[in-house]
Amino acid sequence: MANDQAVGELERFLAERGDRLMRTAVLLTGGREAGQDLLQTALERLLRHWRTLDGDPEGYLRRTLYNLAADGYRRRGRLQRKLVLLRAQTREPADATAQVDLRDALVRLLLQLPPRQRAVLVLRYWEQLTEAETAAVLGWPEGTVKSAASRGLRRLRELADGWHETELHETGLKEQRT
Amino acid sequence: MNEHIDELLRDGMERFTAGVRAPAGLARTAGRLRRRRTGVRAAVACGTAAVTAAAVVAVAAGASGAPARSAASGVQARTTAYVVRRVENALAGEHLVFRGRTVSTGGPSVTWGYGPQNRYEEFFHGRRYLAEGTARRDGKLTGVYVTYFDRKFSLSPLTAPAKSACSTTNALEMGGPPIMTNHWSAFISASLACGAASVTGHVRIDGVETTRITGSPVTVRLPAGYARVVHEKQARVEWTLYVNPTTYLPVRMSGSTATFGGPARSTRFASVTDASWLRPTRANIDATLVTIPAGFHQVSSVAKQ
Repeated sequence: MANDQAVGELERFLAERGDRLMRTAVLLTGGREAGQDLLQTALERLLRHWRTLDGDPEGYLRRTLYNLAADGYRRRGRLQRKLVLLRAQTREPADATAQVDLRDALVRLLLQLPPRQRAVLVLRYWEQLTEAETAAVLGWPEGTVKSAASRGLRRLRELADGWHETELHETGLKEQRT
Repeated sequence: MNEHIDELLRDGMERFTAGVRAPAGLARTAGRLRRRRTGVRAAVACGTAAVTAAAVVAVAAGASGAPARSAASGVQARTTAYVVRRVENALAGEHLVFRGRTVSTGGPSVTWGYGPQNRYEEFFHGRRYLAEGTARRDGKLTGVYVTYFDRKFSLSPLTAPAKSACSTTNALEMGGPPIMTNHWSAFISASLACGAASVTGHVRIDGVETTRITGSPVTVRLPAGYARVVHEKQARVEWTLYVNPTTYLPVRMSGSTATFGGPARSTRFASVTDASWLRPTRANIDATLVTIPAGFHQVSSVAKQ
């Protein structure tokens, strides 16, 4: 009965904030199915502590989401590896990368970063938290957050540079052809 | 351009998640899963008492002539009782070393497991192609991924073993070679309790009667990145375990993953694993660890292999 009441309250809470939380979960895991799994797991934990929760449930839920994600909730599974191995059999078109917008490419790379770096970058640039606030959510020292953010951004910058060069190269080729 | 990378990233995140909505009923599902998990934990903790209680529930449901929903509860209660009755035996068997020999459309592989240690190796044209699992470094266990063809390896934190096939993520894992879980009996009982699997009969394997447990098929839309790589849109996973009815340990397991829905020809990965449970001798326990060959080059992550 108490559980039903908690579920009712949680439903009302999700009606208001659920979409934003779901979007965060999708960013942390890289897909809707996995995002839903992650949010579901976090909600179960929230329900476990619902009666003793003191304060804003969203804060608790957010912390749980990020900590689960940083712990590698979405493991590199066998299915993923199998699909990557299939790549050799299904060649991508050579100019596929060039057709993709840099913003999309950045998000794709973000999803390939280790879970801890990804969680930090989502907190910093999606939630727009400061380094100190990010450290508080994850329960890490601020220095750890700084180094994770720095490493993640370095990878993204490398991609941005590479993408820019590829784009110029493609443009150059097209100009030569015409 | 780099100066604006944070803005580009923020824009990209907005675009990537545009249109994403929280599905209806999330809270109710979380509540239901929580109740079921609490129930299974309590049942396992109570042991024999739970068997009696579950039997009483089953009898009560049957005797009342209740409609279909109560009948389903009765079946569920009997299933729980069936599982609980075997948990003690199963726990007794879990100090053994797991060895699985897999034949699959992707080639043969071997899996070893003991407690938190595990080793999975794939072969290609008779040669070791890759190994994944745990290694001991400076006296501590760590996750490791070795690729023999390019002589590289990467280390990673240990990942938590799957506790059930209840989540989509874990169900997807069942479509491949054996998953790594330390506690098969708990995995099976939790999967049965949440409806991710059901008992579907009895089959004789090598002259021994086994109980067949079939996972509910799971179909998922592939994440955009993978969909692009394989030119497919969806994947469907099916799996079956054949467990020894006395020890409740798997004797054989089969899984398949099919991708479809895109412009490419559909692919299907299928595997059958025959499991052996070996005595925990020093040699068998050592076989459950991945050895990193001398001269292999360490890279920072699996993505670079």
